[in-house]
Parts: sequence; structure tokens; C-alpha cells
Amino acid sequence: MQAIKQTSPYIRKTVTTSRMMTDVLIALIPVVAFAIYRFGFDAIIRILVSLVVMIGLEAVAFGMMQKPKASEKFMERLKSRYEKYSINNVIVPAISAIIFAMIIPSKLPIYAVVVGASFGIIVAKMLFGGLGSNIFNVAAAGRVFIGLALTDMFSGKYVDVDLIAGGTALTTLKSGLLFPQALNSYSILDLFVGNVPGSMGEISALAILIGLAYLLIRRSADYRVVLSAVITFSVLILLVGLKLYPDQALSYLGYHLFAGGLMFGVVYMITDPVTSPVTRPGRWIYGLLIGVLVVLIRLFGAYPEGVAFALLFSNMFVPLIDYPKWSTNKVKPLFVVGYILVLAVFGLVVFFGVGGAV
Amino acid sequence: MIAKTKYIPDGKKALKELPILHYLDADFVYYPVTSARCPEGETCVRGGQFVKVGEVVGTRKGAFFEQPMHATVSGEVVGYEKHIDNSGKVVDCLIVKNDFKYELHESISERTDAEIDALTKADYIQIVKDAGLVGLGGSAFPTYIKLETEDPIEVVIANGVECEPNLIADYSLMMNNPKEVIMGLIYAMKASGAKKGVIALKKKYKEIEERFKFALKEFTQYDIEVKTVGNFYPQGWELAMIKNALGIKIPQGELLSKYGVLNFNVSTLQSIYNAVKKRLPVLERLFTISGDGIHNKNFRARIGTLVTDLIELAGGYKQEETPKVLVLGGPMMGTNIMRDDVVMTHTTTSLIIMNNAPQKEEPCVHCASCVYSCPVEIQPVQIMNAYKVKDKDALKALEVSKCIECGLCSFVCPSKIHLTEYMRLGKRLAK
Repeated sequence: MQAIKQTSPYIRKTVTTSRMMTDVLIALIPVVAFAIYRFGFDAIIRILVSLVVMIGLEAVAFGMMQKPKASEKFMERLKSRYEKYSINNVIVPAISAIIFAMIIPSKLPIYAVVVGASFGIIVAKMLFGGLGSNIFNVAAAGRVFIGLALTDMFSGKYVDVDLIAGGTALTTLKSGLLFPQALNSYSILDLFVGNVPGSMGEISALAILIGLAYLLIRRSADYRVVLSAVITFSVLILLVGLKLYPDQALSYLGYHLFAGGLMFGVVYMITDPVTSPVTRPGRWIYGLLIGVLVVLIRLFGAYPEGVAFALLFSNMFVPLIDYPKWSTNKVKPLFVVGYILVLAVFGLVVFFGVGGAV
Repeated sequence: MIAKTKYIPDGKKALKELPILHYLDADFVYYPVTSARCPEGETCVRGGQFVKVGEVVGTRKGAFFEQPMHATVSGEVVGYEKHIDNSGKVVDCLIVKNDFKYELHESISERTDAEIDALTKADYIQIVKDAGLVGLGGSAFPTYIKLETEDPIEVVIANGVECEPNLIADYSLMMNNPKEVIMGLIYAMKASGAKKGVIALKKKYKEIEERFKFALKEFTQYDIEVKTVGNFYPQGWELAMIKNALGIKIPQGELLSKYGVLNFNVSTLQSIYNAVKKRLPVLERLFTISGDGIHNKNFRARIGTLVTDLIELAGGYKQEETPKVLVLGGPMMGTNIMRDDVVMTHTTTSLIIMNNAPQKEEPCVHCASCVYSCPVEIQPVQIMNAYKVKDKDALKALEVSKCIECGLCSFVCPSKIHLTEYMRLGKRLAK
């Protein structure tokens, strides 16, 4: 009998990383199905392009990052580069790819999709060291890159195709239309079900909520970030609603919740564990930061949308939140007080900040 | 799973149903001269000398205490051999050839109740010291030092939680001899001056709770209570157990006695009973052989028995050709050993033999399952990252020294990263 040297513990749980990641893929099914139902072939082709680009480029970059064995034959050297290649190197870029495809408009030119997906996977992920080492959300980075580089395609001035190729229901607010009238164009119910223009995956809150339920039941996403971001967002928007439209504050809140990319971003993007802090209070703070930033960008920024920006911006704060000197997993009273205080301060900021019309 | 993990599959049900084989007649028994806590030791018998059950054959010497070793059979001292003790180290062992007569040493006779009533605190400590009693839960900490405390003790708590998977020694003791545990608890209360006794059990052990409650009817004059705690791991860790059973929160690194609490394993209490009532040292223990690489069996065996004999009796290994992992103790915190010629000592109660199934390590995805699950509320993933860059200050800021090495972080990691090992390395680096 041969004895093997090991150290305790000698047993492991059966849950694996690939199971957690597969859960995210499954949770994306309702959103993808709705996108295909609404946009048909346009959606399918963009999802496929994005998948091929992300998985393919990750594989290429992965091979380039490994040290090959010294060997005469090219094939052997190539093979040795892929010894550590695992199922996670397919599932994880697939998630990023689908999320990326879901946050772009259905009429976006294919080359723009390729550019965004390439930027996301190469610059935001593989250059940082691949799976687990990236500090920015891959899909958000890709989306923001094409959003900034190819602004015209998103702003609604893109004359060749649909006038509202990139517009979401929120664009109506930004373009000067006052809020109560916006409800005439799109009712809250339309927004909830997804009967509005917008990026492919973002429009149906219903499909997203089904995905969220699955993720939470399987415990593959942390409810803390979701809850924290939604609470922060709702409190701040409700305050604004109370000031601007005292009679319709709740529909104002509903409008902001279901229009645009907030729901999708909160459920699928900010729950990405790789770019989240690792402690309970840290995740609450992270959600708070995202919620506040989304509100600030929506109310005071030049963009009608802000989830991707808010997410990337908050990603930068993760190392700060996790700084060993003060990071702790205990929920201390100081943290609770601080959380409420910050929320109150930003509540005052937005309440007195929104002077006239939005 | 991004959530706190508290339950681990314990595999005890199947083991409890196995019959207990009595194997008390080994031809030769072995006594390690040194142990993990006592790096020095000497014997006081010569080759060829005849010893009796309960006779002192030598002394192990630790940093601040001495511990006598007792013969557990009667027979002739043959010589020395090198074997493994329960820390996995190769140590000298004294060999006694069993003559199968089990003659008791002259000093061993039962104490009458009147004699016991007359015992003072100093007497109890002396008895426990002479019997060489140690914490049988696995710590092997000398029991008399716990009793010697000057602090006023209010509660003595009997720890019967046994949260490690695959261990059933305490369970079977509580099932079969609840009365001896209670008597031991009463003696410990008398020795320490405590008014109250508490027996802590897992919630799911309804049958044991019933047994204790029934047995306690004879001892109504004492204030002894049965308290149940959750079924999760690591509930047997004394601070977690005390917090849940008594509601006293004791910070890590503080002595229990400062808070008026003394904690003993139920097996230790039984050994106190034997020492006080019968003047006997620990003679035998339940030994479980489990795991998928071997035929599983329970044994009642004498201290000093060679585990190789027990493995043979159990039917030997399964799938001889596959490499195996040998573990003394539980699968979460047990000691890995490289040979199977282990000598049974006071704290050896289980051998687990698993077929080697290497886990493939994936990159960390920061899911924080380890952070959520950590019972001492430190952050394993951050400690791992700090260790990788050899950042001593960060390791200290992250309080790596608090780690109790319970193994939960490695257990829950979905990427199968061996975090517990990083904790050990980090502790060493931060020192």
C-alpha cells in the first residue's frame, strides 16, 4: 500500500466553481430567450459573434500566457500550453459574452460587437491574468469601451438604422420630455414585461427577476450586493420623485427601476464575485456605491444610463474596501451607522441637487 | 455556493450501526516514551521485569508538567521498538509482553463513597495527576492543570458534541455509560468547587439526551443540566460550544477559568470517574476504522495496541493498488500519517483510510464562501493573497493567528484551493 502525504482537511464539498458559473448561464436563459423572441435573428447573431470572440480570444490568450515545454515538435509545444485549460475557461467567458451581448442594442453593427468583446476579454480580463484576477467587469468594460469609442451608434443619431437603436426608455427623459408624459409613451407594465425599446437583455424586468430568483435559490449570487444596490437606488430615486412629482413618486420610482439597464446590471453584472469585495460589510458598501453612482449619473450626468460606468467605477474601489487594515467580516455597529449616514448624505445631495426638471 | 456553510456530511450513522469488536488481548502492547506534548521521557522498568495492570512504567516530561505512563496489561517488559505515535512522529516505545492474566497492581482498589466524600480539592488533583489523565477529546492537555486553577469556577461543562465527522467514540460512551460520565462530572465539580454542571450535546442526538435525563434522576441533589447545541461544525470547539450552551462569549486566547467555566470532554470525565472511584488509569478506548479504502470496523482496544493488528482484524485494505491517505482522528482536523504501525494512545480514537482522489485546483473567483464560513471571522482568501506576496504586516492585520485550523475554508472552497494550508504557512510567516 502506498501512503500519500496530505494535510487536513481531507474531505471537500462537492460544489465546484464550474457549477456556480453554470448556474449563471442557466439564469441567463430567460433573458436570452426574451431577447431572441423580441429581436429574432439580430439577437442570435450578436450573441453568437460575442461568444465566438470571447471564448476564442480567451483560449488564444490563455495559451500565450503559459510556458510551453521544450520540445522539437510544434504540436507538442502547443499541447503543453493547454494542459491547465479547463471547463472554466469556456463557461466564464461564455457568461461574459452573453452578458455583453445583452447590454448592446440589437442593431449594433457586427464589427462594433467584435471590437467590444475583444476589448473586454483581452484588456479587461486576460491582461490582468485571466480568470479570478480581473478587477474590472469584463462585459461592462467592453460595453463602455464601444460606448465611448463609437458614441454615435448609441446616441440615437445613427440615421442609417432605427432611430432608437441605442435609446432606452430613459433616453426619453434625458431628451427633455418631462416625466409624467414619458409614462404615456411607455407604461410601467410595458417596462416590466419588456415591451419597450432598449438594449437586448435589459428591457424585460420579468425575465431578469426569474433569473435572479434562480441565482438566489442556488446561492450562486450574493443577495447582499443586489439588495444593497436596489435599496440605495430606490431610496434616492424615491426622494427625487417626492420632490419633483409628489403625486407620482411611486410610478417615478417604478419607471427608473424598470427602464434602462439597472435591473440587468444589478442581477447579472454586479453579482460577479470576481470583481466584488470578499466580506459581508464590504459587499453592502459595494452595493451602496453602485446604487449611489447610478443615481448620480442618471440625474446629473451626460448619459441617460449609468450602470456600466457605476460598476467599473465601483470595481476600482474594491481593493480599497478590502484593504486588510480595516476589512472585516463582522457586521459592526459602526458599519451600520456609517451605511445609513452615507445613504442619508446622498439622499440630501440628490434631494437638494435636483433643482428644476431632470 | 456563496453562503455560510455550517453542516458537513458526518458519516456517523453507518459507523454507529457497526458492531463493536472487543480486541483487548494483543500479544504485545507498546507505550510511547515521549509524546507531542512531552518531548522527553524515561522508563522506570528493566527488561525482563514483570509489570501489572495500572503499574507505573515510566514518566513523560513536558515543559511544565510530568505525566506518568501506566501498564495496561500484566506481563514481562521485553524491550523497545520504534513506532508512530498519534502525532505521526516515530518514537521509542516500551514493549510489554501480555501474559493474559491481567493482574491488577496492588495500588488499585475501589474507593468507598465515604472515602470519596472526604476528598479535598488537593486530593482530587493528586489523583488525576497520578492517573496521568489528559484531555481525551484530542488535545491531550493534562487534566490536573485545568483543575488546579485558582479562579472561582461556577460551571463545569461536559463536551459531548464531537462535531468531527466519522468519530463515534464519545457517542458510544454516552450511549452506553451515561452514568459514569455524570459521576465524573460530579467529581470534577467537587474538585473545582463548581455549583453547576452542564452536559452539552448535539440537538440531533435525542436518544442520548433521553439517556442522560433518565440517568440524572438518580442525582437530583446536584444541579446538572443537559443543554443541546446545533448540529453544525465546528460546534465542538470549546468557545463555540460554551457560547451556545451557556451564552458566555469568551474571547479567543483567554483562559476559560477566568470566566468561571471549566470544559471537559465526556471521555475525560469518564476517566476521572475511573481514577477517583476505581483508582484506574485509562486502560481502553473505542477505536474506529473508517473510510472508503478499508473495511470499516469499531473496536474496543487496550491502550498500547498496535493499529496494524486492528487493520488486519478488520479485514485489511480495499483496492490495495490505489494509493491511500491515512488519517488519525477526524477528516477535518486529523493528522496525516505515512505508516500504519501506530500505537494506540489515550487520544487515538479513529483511523480513516481514504483512496487518494486528488482535487484539481482552479483559480480563486473571490466567491467569499471561506470568509462567510470562517468560525473565527477572519478572511482566508485575503490571508492567502497576503501570504503569496509574503506581506507580514497584512497577515498580522488580518489576524491570521486567530485561525483554529478547523479546515472549513478548504472544505467549502468551490475552486478546491487548500486554504487551510495557506493559513498554517501564514501563521508561521507572521510569527
